[in-house]
Amino acid sequence: MKKYSKYLNFLYLIIFVVLIVVSYLSSKRKPDSVKELFTDLSWLNNFPKWLDVPFMVWINDGWRWFSAKYGLIFDAIGYALLRSYSIIKNLLVDLPWPLVILLVVAITYYSSGKKLGTTMFVGFCLFCIGFLNPRFWDKAIETTTIVLIGILLCVIVGIPIGIAMARNAKVRNAILPILDLMQVIPSFCYLIPGIILFGLGAIPAIIGIFIYSCPPLIRLTDLGIRLVDKEVIEAAESFGANKKQKLWGVQLPLALPNIMQGINQCTMMALAMVVIASMIGTRGLGDEVLLGLQQLNVGSSIEAGLAIVLLAIVLDRITQAYGEKIQERTQPPKKIKKINVKN
Amino acid sequence: MKFLKNLLVPFVFVLGLSLGTTNANAKCSAHLGDFDWDSANVHTAIASYVIEKGFGCDVQVSKGSTTPIMAAFFDGQIEVITELWEDNLVELLKPHFADGSILHRGVNTPASEQAFWVDRATAEAHGLKSVEDMKKPGIWELFKDPEDPSKGRMTSCISGWTCYTINYVKLKEYGLDEMYTNFDPGSGGALDAAIAGGFAKGKPVFSYYWTPTSLMGKPEIDMVRLEEPAYDAKCWQDMSVVVEDIKANGTEVYAPSCACEYKDMALTKTVRADWAAANPEVDAFIAAYSLPTETVNNLLAYYVDVSGGDMEATAMWYLENNTEWLDWVPSNVAANIRATL
Repeated sequence: MKKYSKYLNFLYLIIFVVLIVVSYLSSKRKPDSVKELFTDLSWLNNFPKWLDVPFMVWINDGWRWFSAKYGLIFDAIGYALLRSYSIIKNLLVDLPWPLVILLVVAITYYSSGKKLGTTMFVGFCLFCIGFLNPRFWDKAIETTTIVLIGILLCVIVGIPIGIAMARNAKVRNAILPILDLMQVIPSFCYLIPGIILFGLGAIPAIIGIFIYSCPPLIRLTDLGIRLVDKEVIEAAESFGANKKQKLWGVQLPLALPNIMQGINQCTMMALAMVVIASMIGTRGLGDEVLLGLQQLNVGSSIEAGLAIVLLAIVLDRITQAYGEKIQERTQPPKKIKKINVKN
Repeated sequence: MKFLKNLLVPFVFVLGLSLGTTNANAKCSAHLGDFDWDSANVHTAIASYVIEKGFGCDVQVSKGSTTPIMAAFFDGQIEVITELWEDNLVELLKPHFADGSILHRGVNTPASEQAFWVDRATAEAHGLKSVEDMKKPGIWELFKDPEDPSKGRMTSCISGWTCYTINYVKLKEYGLDEMYTNFDPGSGGALDAAIAGGFAKGKPVFSYYWTPTSLMGKPEIDMVRLEEPAYDAKCWQDMSVVVEDIKANGTEVYAPSCACEYKDMALTKTVRADWAAANPEVDAFIAAYSLPTETVNNLLAYYVDVSGGDMEATAMWYLENNTEWLDWVPSNVAANIRATL
């Protein structure tokens, strides 16, 4: 590989020069002849208008071709996501609200390892969402459903990718820039094409959640596995564990606290995205905030904002408490106190 | 004393500095309000270019959705609005026109439409011509709302915009609310994408929309306007009262009133009276400004497809290729503009 790297750089240079020439030729604002560039040097002053890669045109054409050719596949994905969304949402909306609170309280109680304080706090927060405004209850359920499906998608896709990254440095180097892109690119860049593929509503929001909140889960899975003690792995190897046994028996269980932290971060970011997604017609608490904003109604938008915070607290405490419980199990409390030896 | 002196020196310094800067630019200034749809962007772009480069004023542009921009306008923070959908805001504007704090400045485009539209293929296949036809059995199923399969989906205006509430009342008055959801697309861009997406996939489209817009100018978008009861001033007035009441107090206060089609209206311009008195020359330009619908459609197509949403490039393209603007401004201003193109 090293041998060819010199030629590779050369190749990049050629591509770059070709791009400049293409942008010059395709520009409408280029001077009448190339010679002018040498006689009239004013283009060195301001960034010249002809130095413009026609990236926009390429993306638009590519997108048109893509949505025409693969539209059907996305219809199928959209349909599957929509079905699961409607089923969960209708179930939760139809359940009497005290039952929903009880259910969540029970989940919290067991996932937190029977911590009464956390459980009561979560139950109280959940009650307060409806208490702020009864209209918020159903909306919070819509929001939660979207978040849950989004997270599920992230877990299914993200954890295997994280594992692959931890195992192979080349895979990691290839995927890291993609993760950077997913985290940083403004969300409307993929939400608006999402509408064209999936229509208005919950589905582009779920896709948005996946793009925006999957990266931390992948990163933390990768990190968690790489942080597992070398000695523990060596011990497992010396007992004759193969790769699969090592992964399922040693690496994943020990990385679980980190992975849970990833899921927790994923949840929080999903909630942030669901609010932005109200701008593409996603129903839920986000559209209450948006409505308040558009009517200059400070009270109603803050009320809805607080409901989102409460929902975030509920989801955060449940995932966080579960993570802590796992951590206590995998890393038994150290009974031997370190003795500081003063020199 | 020393303390006071220490305090005073920077104060005087800052005062001098701020006076200095205001003096330098005191000639004139204009704060334009722009909205989140493309025809407003184009008019704002041209007007702000002329005021800045031609009259040499300080120009500030604030962009936002209707409610905040109008609130800032009534508050005096924004001074000029080059595209006003006046008929949607009748009740809101009335007191301000009445007390003389804002002034009419004529039309910017002579004709515009807002209405309910259905894509031509579906409309012709099922003989859909008016809103009454939408009630025919089985029609709503064509537009089935994926998230609420018991109803069809009418992609409506953006909630928070007045037209959302107007559409809400209209659907109720026409008896369509039991068959169709008044679906809020969330933002102008999302509404466009929903219509474009429907056409890209060949799916039936039932939507509220308006012209002039760049989307309507695209060759692949072909929609039929549904007929509604003819516009009637009295009816519209009654409906506006209900609409404003709902906007203030929520949908519970809905009371049956009346509904009719949107008036094909001229889009108008408005300025604040105090600003107009201080800047008579620029005000005269705003009053003279008016573009034929044809030109606006071309401009919109250029703005969206060619310039890639570059407001300044669109303004320059217009000024380079048209001459009617020479009549709006004094010759020295026109010369200033010519010099920058």
